[in-house]
Parts: sequence; structure tokens; C-alpha cells
Amino acid sequence: MKIEIESLTKRIPGTGDFISIDYNKCNNCERCLIICVMNLWRKKDGKIHIINDYKSKCLECAACYQVCEAEAIKFRYPTGGTGIIFEKG
Amino acid sequence: MKNYDLIIVGAGPGGSIAAKTAAENGLKTIFFERGRKPGEKNSSGCGLGPRMFRDFPELMKNLTPEKCPSMRAGVAARNYFVNDNDIVAGYIMARPTESVTYEPAKSWITMNVYRSEFDPWIAEFATNAGAELKNSTLIVDLLKEDGNVCGVIDEKGEKYNAPIVIGADGVISTVAQKSGLRNRWAQHQVTITSQYDFQAVPEKINNIMGDEALAVWWGSNFPASYQVFFNDGFHQGLGNWMNWWDKNPLYYLNRVINLKYYQRLLKILEAKPRELQAHLLPWLDYPYNTHTNGVILIGDAGGFPCPLEAEGIYPAMVTGKIAAEVAAEAILSGDVSRVALKKYDNEWQKTSVGEEFESGRELWNIWKALPFSPKETMSWFVPMIMEILGGIFDWSQPHAKRIRQIVSHVKSYMPKATPFIMGYVFPLVAKIFEEDLDKIMDPKKIMKILPKLLDLLPEKKKRRSDKVK
Repeated sequence: MKIEIESLTKRIPGTGDFISIDYNKCNNCERCLIICVMNLWRKKDGKIHIINDYKSKCLECAACYQVCEAEAIKFRYPTGGTGIIFEKG
Repeated sequence: MKNYDLIIVGAGPGGSIAAKTAAENGLKTIFFERGRKPGEKNSSGCGLGPRMFRDFPELMKNLTPEKCPSMRAGVAARNYFVNDNDIVAGYIMARPTESVTYEPAKSWITMNVYRSEFDPWIAEFATNAGAELKNSTLIVDLLKEDGNVCGVIDEKGEKYNAPIVIGADGVISTVAQKSGLRNRWAQHQVTITSQYDFQAVPEKINNIMGDEALAVWWGSNFPASYQVFFNDGFHQGLGNWMNWWDKNPLYYLNRVINLKYYQRLLKILEAKPRELQAHLLPWLDYPYNTHTNGVILIGDAGGFPCPLEAEGIYPAMVTGKIAAEVAAEAILSGDVSRVALKKYDNEWQKTSVGEEFESGRELWNIWKALPFSPKETMSWFVPMIMEILGGIFDWSQPHAKRIRQIVSHVKSYMPKATPFIMGYVFPLVAKIFEEDLDKIMDPKKIMKILPKLLDLLPEKKKRRSDKVK
């Protein structure tokens, strides 16, 4: 059974940016690539980055921030009243 | 600048109880929610235990299906044991046993309810008591004067002043970080949990699951996965500590979903995936750094989820109530220092939450080593337990021979089971029975029983068939 996960989330737009990566700190541990439930992190040309439209997919769990070995990923909760909502959480 | 007696950051169950308690104690109280309403950012889908109803009776008696349509109580729990080949090797369905002493707990084990309904419901008690709820507001920093916390600031720059701030803002707590109590959790102090919500018709759930409230899927190919039944749906989720994962959490969760047995269950329940959720959950053996000058942390922000099963709502409500009471006293006395707020620790330690953490390390250790170490432990635990429980169901051998085969096979697990028992079971038993251990282990008593046991052993092997000759 393949579950189409992108249709299973709902968001209020207008979050602004809330995740960033500090390349002075990133040590390419790739923990963010493994942990992200929505699979939003990529590695291209030896450099880790989050996809451009992460704001329309992110579950705001903050696992990437928490798991980062180098503490290179910054996370803050999106603007009040915006972002992911769980109706059956 | 707006002035209050008490500020609470977070309007989950813990924040709301703190706000309610503070308002009832006459404090001018405000509590903040970053969602448009409480609960819409939370996905822990709660099973409320009988302790909630015992300790918050005035509140909980008002919980009705009209207020929270998702609520569903159940009296039984099912444990599925899944082997290496992803086959359900057996299951145990258990109801409250004869040793249960709290009367209501004999007829139900959990009341399951979605946070999107429960949290707003509970917040209303706080606003009814006079506390001010500010929704859609993200608190980004603490206000400080001469190094002491004196309020909060929201993302629009609006300032709110109060002598004490209660951090009820969950696992990534701004209050904890900005007050210097904690920066980021260590990897072994926090778990990531992903979960699906499935939709199903209430009648189907009732017909098929009866009065079962939840199930746990124990396997060697995934960390223990829980299933919680609500009125018109159910959660299937799993989690583990941050440093455990070698693959994506969804890889493991999908492994549960794709068990043949699970697929059959989905089919007969006519269940459809409805929502995908993920959240972090602090899971500690003991909370620490719970307060400082003008700041108290409660619930997830303080690391209070149960050390064994990470139940979070009840500890959040208990600590929220105590934090507000301690805050009220401190504000009245004019001393909101770290030393004065130490009373918070003294008080929660006296509660059922405190007692839970008394054996927190041993409970946490064994749990981490058992269902959350699928490859290391569950790989032998599942076949061993099924050998004991199900081994007798074989009709190809005489029963006595079968029992010898089972015992011999169980013995083969001992090289793995013994270090586990020594490392995790004995320390837990020793901690739980700390005070009684000397009595149990009294050598005189043991020597008294031993000869009787020895009498039971036959002197030499005799075959009954010899008598027939």
C-alpha cells in the first residue's frame, strides 16, 4: 500500500521562512536527510539544502533542527496563526 | 506594554490548567497560543487515563461527546507480536486485572480524544475563570530587567509584563531557551514520532474492535507502534530517540501499515488514510532545570512526559496546576527568585508524576532496550514469548515431547535474554521493591522452602509403562 502523503496535510499560508541552514557549521552529517518525514532535505554537489517550497510541505516537527550534529539548522515556529494544522491530531 | 500578574506561554492542556488555576487564585493571567486556536498545532492524539479523572474530577466530568465528538473509551488493549518475517506470530488482548484497585479503572483504561477538540475544550475553563487567551500569537523572546525575567515579547514586538512566566510551550520551548534553562535537548532526551490518522465509520470500529481502546504492535523490524481508536478513526504511529534512526521514520511506519495482517484490518475496517502528523516528544528519565528566577517550565517544556510510555497530557496538567499555585504564592510574597520557586520541584515530586520519576531511570532504560531496540532485543524477544505462549499448539508430537522441545528452545535464547534480565529487569525490580527486597530475599525463608521443593524431584527415572508389564 502506497500512501500519498502530500494530500494528507493542511496548512494556513503566510508562514514566512522559518528554517535555515548555516553553511559555516554544516558538516554534511546528513542526519536531516534521514530524519525528515516529508523528505524535504537534499544533497546536491556536496551541499545540503532544503527544497524551495518546504513551506508548503513541512510538518513543523523540528526534527531537522534537533537531529543536526553540527547545530547548523535553525528552526523557529512559523508566524502565529499560519502553517500546518492538525484536525485529527 | 501590558501588565499582568502571570504570563503563560502555551495553551495546551498544561498551559490551560495553569491559567485556570492562576485566575482562580486571583491572578491577572494571560496565556498565549501560536495556533488560531488551542490544539490545532498538536498531534499527540491523547489517551486520557483514569488518573486524569481521579485528580481533575470537576473538570473531567464535563467531557462529553457533544464537546468532543472524537472521544471513545475502551477497556482492553491488544499487543500484537510481529516476527522477523513481518508475520503476526500472536497477540494478547488484555483487560484490567484483578489486582486493579481504583474502581473506575476496572471498567475502562483510556478515553481517547483528538487534541483539536480536547485542547480548546480545556482552554475554555481557563477563560471562564477569567484568564485571557491570546491566539495566533508567537512569543519570540523574554523581557528582562537587570538580568531578571519580567515578561515576554511577541513576534510583532508587543510586550507583556509579569513577575513570573510559565513555559508551557512544548518540546522546543522558547521560554526554556531564552531563560537559559536549556538550549537544545540532547539526542537521547527527545524522540521523533510520525503517525497516520485513518478514517473509519464508528459502527465498523465498534463492531470489529469491540471495547478495545488501543493496540501496540511489537516487532523486530520496527520500533513499537501504537494504535489508538477514536470515535470515527484511529492513529497508527511510532517513534524513537533521535540518535536511533538509520532510515526515515515513515519507512518504519509504512512497514507496519504494510503488514499483511494490518492490511486485512484496514480492509475490514474500511479505513482510509486521513492525515499525516509528526512531532517531537521529550522522553527523559528525570526532569531537570525546571525553574529559574521568574520562570517555571511545565509539561513537555519541562521534560515531564512519563518515563515509561511518554504520556504527556496528565503530567502537563499536574505540573501546570502546581506551577500556578507556586507562582501565586511567590507573587503574593514578592519573592519570585529561583530559591523561592524551588517549591515547584518539592511539590511535583510529591505527586503521582513525582513517584513515576522515582523509578524513572530504570523504567526508561528497560523500555528503550526492549520495544525501541527492535533489532537487538525484539528479534529474540518475540519468538521467545511466542514459544512460551503458543508453542503448545502443535499436534505433530506427544505433548510431553513438545514441552521438552519448547523448554529447550527457550533455553537457547538465554545467552541473549540473561544479559537483558541482568541489565534491565533486575535493576528495575530492585528499585521498585527497594524497601521489601530484604524481606523477599531473607535466606532463612528461602532455606525453609527449598527442602520442600527438593522433595518434589523424583529419585530416579521411572517409566509408567513398566508397571503395565
